[in-house]
Amino acid sequence: MTMTDKLSRNEHIKAESGYLRGAIPEELAQIVTGGITEDSQQLVKFHGMYMQDDRDLRAERTRKRLEKAYSFMIRLRIPGGVCTPEQWLKLDRIARDYANGTLRLTTRQTFQYHGVIKHNLKTTMQAIDDALLDTLAACGDVNRNVLATSNPHRSRAHKAALDLATRMSEHLLPRTSAYREIWLDGEPVVGGEEVAEPIYGKTYLPRKFKAVVAVPPDNDVDIFAHDLGFIAILDEAGEVLGWNVTVGGGMGMTHGEPDTFPRVADVMLFCEPQDALAVAEAVVTTQRDWGNRSVRKRARLKYTIEDRGLAAFRAEVERRVGKALEDPRPFSFTSTGDRYGWVEGEDGRSHLTLFIENGRLRDIPGGPSLLTGMRRIAGIHKGEFRCTANQNVIIANVDPQDRPAIEALVAEHGLTSQATALRRNAMACVAFPTCGLALAESERYLPDLVTALEERLALHGLAEDEIVIRMTGCPNGCARPYLAEIGFVGKGPGRYNLYLGAAADGTRLSKLYADDLPQEQILATLDPLFAGYAREREEAERFGDFVIRAGYVAQTFKGADFHDATGPLNRAVEAGA
Amino acid sequence: MSAQIILPKTAPFDDDSIAGLNRILNQASETQRAWLAGYLAGLDAANASPAAPPAARPAEPLAILYATESGNSEALALDAAKLARKQGFKPTIIDFADLDVAALASHKRVIVIAATWGEGEPPARAARAYGALMSASAPALTDTTYAVLALGDSAYPDFCSVGKAIDERLEALGGRRAVERVDCDLDFEAPARDWIARSLKELAPEPVAANVVAVDFGGRVAGETSRDPVEAEVIEHVDLNSSRSSKETIHLALGFEGLAPAYEPGDALDLFPENDPVLVDEILRLTQLVDDGLRGELVTQRDVTTLSVNLVEKYAAATGHAGAKALLDEGRAREWVAGRQFVDLLEAFPATLAGEQLRALTRPLPPRAYSIASSRKEVGEEAHLLISAVRYESFGRPRAGVASTFVADRLKSGASVKVRLKPNRHFRLPENDADIIMVGPGTGVAPFRAFVQERRAVGASGRNWLFFGDRSFTHDFLYQLEWQEALAEGSLTRLDLAFSRDRPEKVYVQHRIAERRREIVDWIENGARFYVCGDANAMAKDVRAALVEAFAEVRALTPDAAEEQVAGLERSGRYLQDVY
Ligand code: SRM
Ligand SMILES: Cc1cc2nc3c(=O)[nH]c(=O)nc-3n(C[C@H](O)[C@H](O)[C@H](O)COP(=O)(O)OP(=O)(O)OC[C@H]3O[C@@H](n4cnc5c(N)ncnc54)[C@H](O)[C@@H]3O)c2cc1C
Ligand SMILES: Cc1cc2nc3c(=O)[nH]c(=O)nc-3n(C[C@H](O)[C@H](O)[C@H](O)COP(=O)(O)O)c2cc1C
Ligand code: SF4
Repeated sequence: MTMTDKLSRNEHIKAESGYLRGAIPEELAQIVTGGITEDSQQLVKFHGMYMQDDRDLRAERTRKRLEKAYSFMIRLRIPGGVCTPEQWLKLDRIARDYANGTLRLTTRQTFQYHGVIKHNLKTTMQAIDDALLDTLAACGDVNRNVLATSNPHRSRAHKAALDLATRMSEHLLPRTSAYREIWLDGEPVVGGEEVAEPIYGKTYLPRKFKAVVAVPPDNDVDIFAHDLGFIAILDEAGEVLGWNVTVGGGMGMTHGEPDTFPRVADVMLFCEPQDALAVAEAVVTTQRDWGNRSVRKRARLKYTIEDRGLAAFRAEVERRVGKALEDPRPFSFTSTGDRYGWVEGEDGRSHLTLFIENGRLRDIPGGPSLLTGMRRIAGIHKGEFRCTANQNVIIANVDPQDRPAIEALVAEHGLTSQATALRRNAMACVAFPTCGLALAESERYLPDLVTALEERLALHGLAEDEIVIRMTGCPNGCARPYLAEIGFVGKGPGRYNLYLGAAADGTRLSKLYADDLPQEQILATLDPLFAGYAREREEAERFGDFVIRAGYVAQTFKGADFHDATGPLNRAVEAGA
Repeated sequence: MSAQIILPKTAPFDDDSIAGLNRILNQASETQRAWLAGYLAGLDAANASPAAPPAARPAEPLAILYATESGNSEALALDAAKLARKQGFKPTIIDFADLDVAALASHKRVIVIAATWGEGEPPARAARAYGALMSASAPALTDTTYAVLALGDSAYPDFCSVGKAIDERLEALGGRRAVERVDCDLDFEAPARDWIARSLKELAPEPVAANVVAVDFGGRVAGETSRDPVEAEVIEHVDLNSSRSSKETIHLALGFEGLAPAYEPGDALDLFPENDPVLVDEILRLTQLVDDGLRGELVTQRDVTTLSVNLVEKYAAATGHAGAKALLDEGRAREWVAGRQFVDLLEAFPATLAGEQLRALTRPLPPRAYSIASSRKEVGEEAHLLISAVRYESFGRPRAGVASTFVADRLKSGASVKVRLKPNRHFRLPENDADIIMVGPGTGVAPFRAFVQERRAVGASGRNWLFFGDRSFTHDFLYQLEWQEALAEGSLTRLDLAFSRDRPEKVYVQHRIAERRREIVDWIENGARFYVCGDANAMAKDVRAALVEAFAEVRALTPDAAEEQVAGLERSGRYLQDVY
């Protein structure tokens, strides 16, 4: 082994953890600290939680003889984002009892709690179990929560997508009993652990792994941002014939390290419904064996495919499935957004998609009370709830009788399905104060920026135009900013990289337009482009397409050229932008 | 040359006379002294009947009882004893904690100095004897002459109620009151001194023929401390609660010019606060007074917040205000003053006052006690306090505790403040090898920080177990980093925590005590001392009840037997509390 082949630290932690146990129980029992060790922090991710600290408070703590304000973020595993009203009520209760009084809908169709202190972790985990939910593998180097398109109008295909997502999530779940043992006071399992992880083995995957299922024309799950994707291929009657399989998508990169980059997934092959799980497993085990376990920054599947080539990867997958598979079939997406408001399904049932700004459900004293509103809706609703990959929520399968009552509650609590055009296409990651990796504000800043931008857009007559805008506090890309027509990525406090030119259907990455832009200059930087767009756009042309055609910014064709030809092109310079 | 003559301070002369005699006797030649001795002896011999050689008359026994929580009554009892000795008594000082009520009748002369605590309750250590005195089994005291001095705080509705009750009870038992009781407010020094002098005079035996008094050279009072305030400099001022907390607890490190007061772990400092100038200005506005000198005096010298029925009476008399009178006449005053302050009185019943009247209405601004949170062995010539800012609202006004918010809001680093040592010899560390269990939620943890520092510094081998609690783990864990360090290095053996607002069910230290009952009983049976510090109203009682319960459970005792276990610990000084 050469030096560069040395296994990363995380590999040792996993290997020595005894299937994800490590010293977690002992460290939970240490009451004088709200934290756990570095090693255990890595391990608890597999159980669905991150240790964090309140970054707003960091500066004052030492003087006050307090350790950092540690708490835990807990992420649920809810395949396809579907839960029942009973579950909603329990999750809401947990948010108020043990977390910071908010439920956070994520970009991957689930809920997060923030601010759960160590001494409440077990109680919280047991309460989650009581809601018949879990957090296993919601984070960590495993297959995580599996998304399924949530747009409800294609009822049958949605059902198939949800079914595949659920089965895939279960199939790829870690088998270790550590989760039950540690959190739910299950009996320790003696022996037998050698075969505990038939798919993963002792060291699990080299890195996180994300899978999704989409039903065209909706790309609400942003399929090209994920390691593994299944695109429903439907017959004329709307039945699923099989799935196109995508591999190697991902967003995360590191500032200043050009060998890290976001990448849109490749459409690799077509498989029939009965082969889908086998294909998924083969992709996972190939990545398990081929993925880079020395350099974590290069360990995602997207780099495995960059390094080995798609053809070789496909051949290996087919070998593992045990048969040759077809080439992908044609498909097309139109949008990555949600369909707000009431939608009738093919089966005649109604669904209401609500806009939840940045997915944060909470009560603001004297303002909207989204958490309470949703709780009251859950109290009368008889269908289900679906979390969307755009941080929104759908009240699905509404009994026609309940419609007026639900509409009344929506209005009463400041919920809405009718945000303005830019806002309803906006998404921000969590960032400050909980995210340990944030370089700049995101969730707490984007709403104000959108307000300011909407004023500009209105001046240019663009108030009604759909433009996808996303912000993240760092280049990890949790709100998939590189697939937004306007993307902001935090560089430092109050400073952002501005990316432009992604496709609205989620198939093309953006390009860096302005580097390290102080937030005060954002409006002035975008205004000339809005003016140009208003003047010169073609019929139905999207902003992301326009900036490339009009010559403001270069097009990104694939992940590996993401960092090439950055900055404003001549046209932009001429326009004084 | 002859030896230096120094009359002991206990000599039956006042201090000035002792100094004068010492000066004269030391300057006298040997001849002069011999002459004086001969002359005095000759004088006595001439007056005595030759048959009876001068016999020492036995000093008159005097029992000085005190019931104290924070040491004021005790200090006065010691003063009284000193003076009594000089006046020919043989004083015995008896703590109510050790008092055998049945034996009370054997004392012919009794002085009682008693403080009132809680809401009109006796000090905790005095509760047992107080109960016995009030009970039907108390002895008849027909041969006893007594005097009672009551200590209290007129801010409480049950002002000096314990002293009053004892006074009445002694009379009911047949005792003869030598002097009228005096009810002292927080500025008790002068009235108490006065009362003690008068009482001793009244209690003094009839003059007798004996002309030589047996001098008791024993019973010297140990380690007297200066009662004079000293200036301290604030060298650190930090709110230990997070900015997200609902509380504000100031860690105040004080430095001294020269030596720090000679405090021991367990002692407190009296801190002399200043009033909020904004409140003083409002009072001046309401009374239509403009006087800069008065303003300064009100800020630094007078109690301008406390409102008592007594004050309403004085105010009604001074102003003749019909509204204030009506309050009193209709018997509503006690209810009305609850939760209100002086400023509310001025606002409700406005009257123009003269500066002199205002001065007369207010009592001197009393200092506030704060447990010392440091050991000199660790911090040198510093003393640390831990002060929780008192803020609340009542009758539509935001209120601020005088001393605690003076410290929190107006006492900055570098400023100076007057403090005075307030010893508490009932709250001391045991021998180095004894284990201790410390229950100190909130600011109650202050003396335990001193304990742990001290035991670390002296390398004490006893184990140290702390129960701490507050509202939130993340925002209110006072001295968290220090406890972490203490645990890691072993100066703290165990730590149990109870945070009441971290989850829906409230958890308090008494719940943790219940959970750990087995080990606690083990520790105690192995000789551990049990200390409680902090809130007197709820916490201290709940903790005691939890310990009784623990004995009952672990040792399968009846409630009475378990209660007796804990009472026994209290009597033997192994259950100690410092509560407020
Ligand atoms: C909550 C969420 C953002 C949101 O606003 O909704 C989120 C939040 C975090 N992400 Fe993410 N990620 C979230 C979706 C994503 C996505 C979007 C997606 O998957 O569709 C991405 C980009 C896709 C991808 O994986 O490439 C994403 C890429 C990352 C990365 C970069 C991974 C990489 O390959 O470079 C990190 C950092 C890492 O893994 O080292 C990260 C790490 C984090 C952490 C856990 C920070 C950390 O590691 O300490 C963030 C927690 C913040 C907080 O306080 O809650 N998150 N994260 C999303 C939760 C999804 C879920 O329910 O599972
Ligand atoms: C021996 C001893 C040790 C002590 N040690 C400490 C210590 O270490 N740390 C510490 O912080 N304190 C300690 N105290 C208490 C301290 O002395 C003061 O009593 C406390 O700081 C309040 O003083 P203050 O001047 O700020 O408030 P004050 O102006 O005296 O006001 C207090 C009064 O306000 C009223 N009040 C308070 N809260 C409310 C409410 N919520 N609603 C209605 N009325 C209310 C009550 O009548 C209370 O008596 C100790 C006390 C004693 C006797
Ligand atoms: C918590 C607390 C409660 C008190 N309760 C009363 C009371 O109800 N009535 C009263 O007259 N004085 C009350 N006082 C005042 C004390 O009696 C007064 O401070 C006295 O000087 C204490 O004497 P000691 O040091 O001997 O205990 C209280 C003091 C404290 C700190
Ligand atoms: S993008 Fe960065 S800042 Fe935002 S949540 Fe993800 S890791 Fe945190």
